[in-house]
Amino acid sequence: MDFNLSEEQKQLKSTIINFARNELNQGLEERERLGRFPSELWKKCAALNLLALPFEEEYGGCGFSFFNTVLAIEALAYGCKDAGLVHAVGSTLISGLLIKIFGTENQKKNILPKLCRGELIAAQAITEPEAGSDVMSIQTRAIKAENNYLLDGRKMFISNAPIADVFLVLAITNPDRKSFAAHSFLLCEKFRPGVSLGKPLEKLGLRTLQNSEVIFDHCEIPLENLIGQEGQGMFIFNEMMEWERILFAACHLGTLTRILEMCLKYATERKQFGQPISKFQYISGKIARMKIAEELIRTYLYRLAISKDQNQRLTLEASVLKVYASENLKTACFEALQLHGGYGFMLEYEIQRDLRDSLASTIYSGTSEINLQIISKLLRL
Amino acid sequence: MQTKEKIRKFLISDLLQDNDISAISDDDSLIDSGIIDSHGIMTLIAYLEKEFKIKIGPEHLLPENFESLMAISNLVNNLLTDKGK
Repeated sequence: MDFNLSEEQKQLKSTIINFARNELNQGLEERERLGRFPSELWKKCAALNLLALPFEEEYGGCGFSFFNTVLAIEALAYGCKDAGLVHAVGSTLISGLLIKIFGTENQKKNILPKLCRGELIAAQAITEPEAGSDVMSIQTRAIKAENNYLLDGRKMFISNAPIADVFLVLAITNPDRKSFAAHSFLLCEKFRPGVSLGKPLEKLGLRTLQNSEVIFDHCEIPLENLIGQEGQGMFIFNEMMEWERILFAACHLGTLTRILEMCLKYATERKQFGQPISKFQYISGKIARMKIAEELIRTYLYRLAISKDQNQRLTLEASVLKVYASENLKTACFEALQLHGGYGFMLEYEIQRDLRDSLASTIYSGTSEINLQIISKLLRL
Repeated sequence: MQTKEKIRKFLISDLLQDNDISAISDDDSLIDSGIIDSHGIMTLIAYLEKEFKIKIGPEHLLPENFESLMAISNLVNNLLTDKGK
């Protein structure tokens, strides 16, 4: 497997890094404090085709391989310090991939071109107040009537919900089946009567990412809004988790590289006891460990992205990558703050924001604990 | 060993390890009985793809293809036939 990037791939990363540095970081401190989503920057991301990367050209996409998509998102997370915006982009790509893989031709035609142009935002509505890691225990129901499904339920912590135009909802469509075959995915547009939102949730990190509760109250959904087939919901969920865990690891890698470079710079410039603090082994060891994590995540991430382009199933591997990348990002942010001493603890320095943003990485897309359980199961333990 | 018997052996040895059931007939309901749960289906698909060197694509990820030992065996045999064409 060749991990050497072509000139085109290097150029792709370079273009996105420059774009992110020049266009996406200004005003971050204020909008982060206010928890405001940067709609104007979303349009700029769309203009650069960042929302169109992995989709076929016939649907307005770039037709990129998943590997190139991963490279692009890694570059975005490296150049863009707004982790909430990066997360919103990643989450939108995953929603689009769900439609691309399992959607009907009409669903692809109706959604993907607008999604690629940044005119439509999709949100996956899966988690519920009483169903987080235990996805099977969701209570939201979509009961089939003559010409539609009647959707009732509450979804919680939904990323992009306050700005979304359409929800990809996991619901029970066959309550008679007491198993994972009871679940299906449905498209529900926000304009439908019966859809309402809770107020945007205040979060510790990823504050520009918009999250809220979504309530479906006797919401009528046309039968053609079913994604895939009835009873396929958990299969779709499992499949999409593989893509998501790999793609979000690209976000973690980009951020980790930026943190590493920031620590390298500070440790070589900051002098104590007459020499750069990088000369103290307790300090250099922290940076060396960040470098080890960065190299291992990159190698494994690239391998999995290329394997995904070859249609390989990577359930175990995606969970391994997800746990390793997110846990190491979190550790690197803690260590970066410690390495910067009192300055790191100050709000005017950026490290505290990176640390707060990193805390969610071991929770979303399956907590570290649930991913370790998946790995254990697949090892037949 | 025939496809079906290999799968039967796997189901009993791996997916039923915490269960009292020691035998599975061809038509036993595997999903609604809980023999294959949401984690078990991931384990089973990973096993089938590795053991039989097949790719179970999104179009095959349907409950009816995993409802019973016979259904799983038919899916694997169909995919093996397609692969040989």
